Amino acid sequence: MSIAEDIGLETFAMARAARELYSVFVRTLYYVVRGRREKGAVVRQMYEIGNKSFVFLTITMGFIGMIMVYQSGLQTRRILPDFSLLGATFLELLTRDLAASLAALMLATRVGAGIAAEIGSMVVTEQVDALRMSAADPIDYLVKPRFIASIVMTTVLIIWGGFVMFTVGGAVGYFAFGISWKTFASTQLVSHGDLITGLTKCVAYGGAIPVVSGYCGLTTFGGSEGVGWATTRAVVNSSLAIIVLNFFISGAAYVIFPK
Amino acid sequence: MNAAASPQRNRFYDVAEQVGAGFLGVAQVVGGMGVLLGRIVARFFPPRIDYPELRRNLYKMSVKSLPIVVITALFTGAIMVIQAAPIVKRLGAEGLVGWAAGFTTLREIAPLLTALMISGRVGANNTAELGTMVVTEQLDALRVLAIDPISFLIVPRFIGIVVTLFMMTLYADALALLGATYCAKALLNVAPTSFYHGLTGGLLHLGDVGDGLVKSVIFGIVMALASCHFGMTTKGGAPGVGRAVNATVVASAAGIFVLDYFVSFILG
Repeated sequence: MSIAEDIGLETFAMARAARELYSVFVRTLYYVVRGRREKGAVVRQMYEIGNKSFVFLTITMGFIGMIMVYQSGLQTRRILPDFSLLGATFLELLTRDLAASLAALMLATRVGAGIAAEIGSMVVTEQVDALRMSAADPIDYLVKPRFIASIVMTTVLIIWGGFVMFTVGGAVGYFAFGISWKTFASTQLVSHGDLITGLTKCVAYGGAIPVVSGYCGLTTFGGSEGVGWATTRAVVNSSLAIIVLNFFISGAAYVIFPK
Repeated sequence: MNAAASPQRNRFYDVAEQVGAGFLGVAQVVGGMGVLLGRIVARFFPPRIDYPELRRNLYKMSVKSLPIVVITALFTGAIMVIQAAPIVKRLGAEGLVGWAAGFTTLREIAPLLTALMISGRVGANNTAELGTMVVTEQLDALRVLAIDPISFLIVPRFIGIVVTLFMMTLYADALALLGATYCAKALLNVAPTSFYHGLTGGLLHLGDVGDGLVKSVIFGIVMALASCHFGMTTKGGAPGVGRAVNATVVASAAGIFVLDYFVSFILG
């Protein structure tokens, strides 16, 4: 009986959270079109989200690019000792999935934690209530600028991250397996479908991170410890959102752009 | 001349100062984590660990993380097959999809993604908890009572995180392969038996699973050190706790990726 009760309670809580998240998303979209324009807010958030993640993203993406090429080189050597398609396949996977998903997971930790901590501490110090009292919807004032800034900067950072991954991967290919840069940097396998899939992912992830973490921040309760909890939930839920979105977008792309 | 040159030079000094401060900051964090590791290791000889606290932490970290690990692993396995499908079809080697998905999952993706998810849930939460204890002076209270905070608080959490990550990676390996199997059945019409044959047919060894598990232990150590270090050195009240959590998440993610490269290289 008590297990059934637990499962039921969990289900209701999840359904409620899903509905609230959906409401935050819809209101954000509404305010993007109809909200008030605050001068400089979006640019400030772009600096916070984009420029401040630049070094972190460059380092992590560089290392993951090296690992990917090294591992797939080892893998290729086990079955067919022919490295001519390694670079082209890597670029195809990078465009379609890896650059977007890995960079977004990195950004979800940094940007998501930042957004939730900032909004969460505003909630527990009652600044958000003060906003509501001044007839300013916190979603218009706090979530919307982050939403616009995140979509733009996530796309920019993902493209940069993909470039870093490919360049560093090319260097590993040259030094570890002796693949010349000309053979490695071939775009023969990248199709329009891959490019569209990759860019769709950029926009979807860029939108998902601020909405999910903004929701987690706005539902903070319980003082300073609550802010810690909100940050944790923001990172976990944004990462989960990215993985689930990746599954659906990749699945749809597989059906829409058959190879 | 001098007046015109001085702003230029100031800007140069500013940049140099920032770069230097950045390096010093990184050195301080790495050094702090090293010292913490030394202190933790010293508590193992002879073992001075608070067992009730260890059990509490293991429950909170492992059992409560199961749902997110299950969801992540199932979806990740499916994504691996979706991404491998066009390549496999092009080569006309449907029988190899089990091997391709298995290799990447066991060696890279399962340890890496599990570590990222656990770092978000457990590592960040741990820092928030320790940080709150530090800013409300509970650690000082422990010291006043002659209770060693390292063996009472830190060592159980350290063991908890390392054990959690190890076990969750095992789970994630199995579940990701399960997700991959049924995705391969749905997308490529590869029967589960031939998928499993690709896994066990001789191209994959136990060493591939072992590599992933070695990685998970190393990631666990880094994550535990980062989260305990930033938690213990929290300063500046409630906003300081937020900053510490943020620093933990970033340091764990960067540490995991950088070490992943070196571990892959050494084990490869």
